[in-house]
Amino acid sequence: MPTREEWAVVLFTLRVAALGTAMILPLGVAAAALLAGRRGPGRTVLDTVFSLPLVLPPTAVGVVLLDTFSRATPLGSALAAAGIQIAFDWKGVVLATAVMSFPLLVRSALTAFEEVDPRLVGLARTLGCGPLQAFFRVTLPLAWRGVLAGTVLAFARALGEFGATVMLAGNIPGRTQTLALAIFHETQLGHDDRARVLAGVTALLAFLALWSAEAVGRARTRRAA
Amino acid sequence: MIRLDFEAPLARFPLRIRADLGAPVTAVMGPSGAGKTSLLEAIAGLRAIASGRIAIDDDVLVDTAAGRRVPPQRRRIGYVPQDAGLFPHLRVRENVLFGARGAARDVAHAIDALEIGPLGERYPASLSGGEKQRVALARALATRPQLLLLDEPLAALDVSLRERIVPYLLRIRDEWSTPMLYVTHNVGEARALAGEVLLLEGGRVEAQGAPLALLATPGLSREARAGIENLLAGEIEGHDPEGGVTRVRLEGGLVVSVSIVPERPIASAVTVAIRAEDVLVATEPVRGLSARNVYEAVVRGIERGPGDATVRCALRPDVPEWLARLTPAAVAELGLEEGSRVWLAVKSHSVRVASAPPARAVPSGEVGTRPP
Repeated sequence: MPTREEWAVVLFTLRVAALGTAMILPLGVAAAALLAGRRGPGRTVLDTVFSLPLVLPPTAVGVVLLDTFSRATPLGSALAAAGIQIAFDWKGVVLATAVMSFPLLVRSALTAFEEVDPRLVGLARTLGCGPLQAFFRVTLPLAWRGVLAGTVLAFARALGEFGATVMLAGNIPGRTQTLALAIFHETQLGHDDRARVLAGVTALLAFLALWSAEAVGRARTRRAA
Repeated sequence: MIRLDFEAPLARFPLRIRADLGAPVTAVMGPSGAGKTSLLEAIAGLRAIASGRIAIDDDVLVDTAAGRRVPPQRRRIGYVPQDAGLFPHLRVRENVLFGARGAARDVAHAIDALEIGPLGERYPASLSGGEKQRVALARALATRPQLLLLDEPLAALDVSLRERIVPYLLRIRDEWSTPMLYVTHNVGEARALAGEVLLLEGGRVEAQGAPLALLATPGLSREARAGIENLLAGEIEGHDPEGGVTRVRLEGGLVVSVSIVPERPIASAVTVAIRAEDVLVATEPVRGLSARNVYEAVVRGIERGPGDATVRCALRPDVPEWLARLTPAAVAELGLEEGSRVWLAVKSHSVRVASAPPARAVPSGEVGTRPP
């Protein structure tokens, strides 16, 4: 069983993953909605940029984030002047996990939006909806399962984020240490059994998240059929 | 009056439409890929127009020269696509109310007229093709549109007569004064519904005119000619279970025998359909024939197309003409011409009874009062 300190790490991980996912949800949905149904070079460029965190080494993303938000940069010092510290703080953990899981959400949502029959959206327009209203009354309700799947994926990814987090926020026990960092930390200290317990907890959390999303999706399918 | 004069790019050719449509119902016909659906989409605002003008009476929807393009949500056009296009995540009632504007009484009227009240709590996935079309029609009517665009209702489905949408369209035509553009492949439907046909081919208007006049147009497809039906309003006069027939009294007093339909109450209003190719034509009184329905008539005209001829026959002065489809060889052999006396014979099995009556046969105030 996890110790008291380990439970704190679990809670901290859940909290930052949830916060990061909540942060990217509106942004990711908006990005996917803007990209959906568009063709051309602009789409390709944005598609690529949004997908970069998927293929870059997370540590590389971490370096970019650190260079952007450290106190040495204008943005970082401006934030620091306002009392907001990103680097080596829990906010850095949220930011790193959010950036790393953003592409998963965008891609799932984009696929879901593009699977909505565009003629249904057109019909909503003839029935008096402007573009935004048609999105909220037709596209989103029909694509919500894909959006949910993307959100859960993003959340699960955030639970396990390591590379970008360690670069931007460091591995500070009690301050920025998440489950993924703690597992690494314990093996470094030779506490392989503790690492196994934490790995098991992580696996269980990821399983629960994915399974509940699946179950919700199924229940809804049955009702609409 | 709907004035169309525009050009829109399509995948294979540009759509160039120039036509003034003044009839309450205009049927849009033409082969697959002629641009029929694209025409409706352009009018609804769902397809971009390169240049030109679209106006309904004084309401200019598009005028590229003046830089005017009214967005679809402000055009007040009811659009019913081929597959009905119901929102799958909404119940029937929510679908109908989706764009409803105006009085609740009007919405209720649409729901009654299309007889979809009992379906209200169901999801579209559980509806039959005909039910979906009726819900889509009610949804369009509930927005109080200034124009209805109907894209081949039921063309994609195996249509049993029970599923027929035409009687409902007749009802809408006669009870709402909303003009309609109706894409169909069937000349019989066009004739029953529309005052005028717009025939498209390759993105252009090939012909415009009365439905029957178009039978002489070479561009009219084979299937369009083959599908001609006589659609006639009447009411059930009586059942003869022993003889296996039901007698239907048509407007004007003619009685036709049909294969027995015991479930239909006496005096209930119905529409009967007789395909033009099922009408036999004789030049002498018919005796010793098994057909139960034989009527004397006078040939009013013959519309000739490539490889076939449609003979218009007047049974009585006050009854709609019947159409009989013959080969040109048969017309020549019988020596048919305008004014010929003929006898028309139809087997009971060739007469089918449709579920809903056309509006004219329904006294006002009793529209669609069907128990759930």
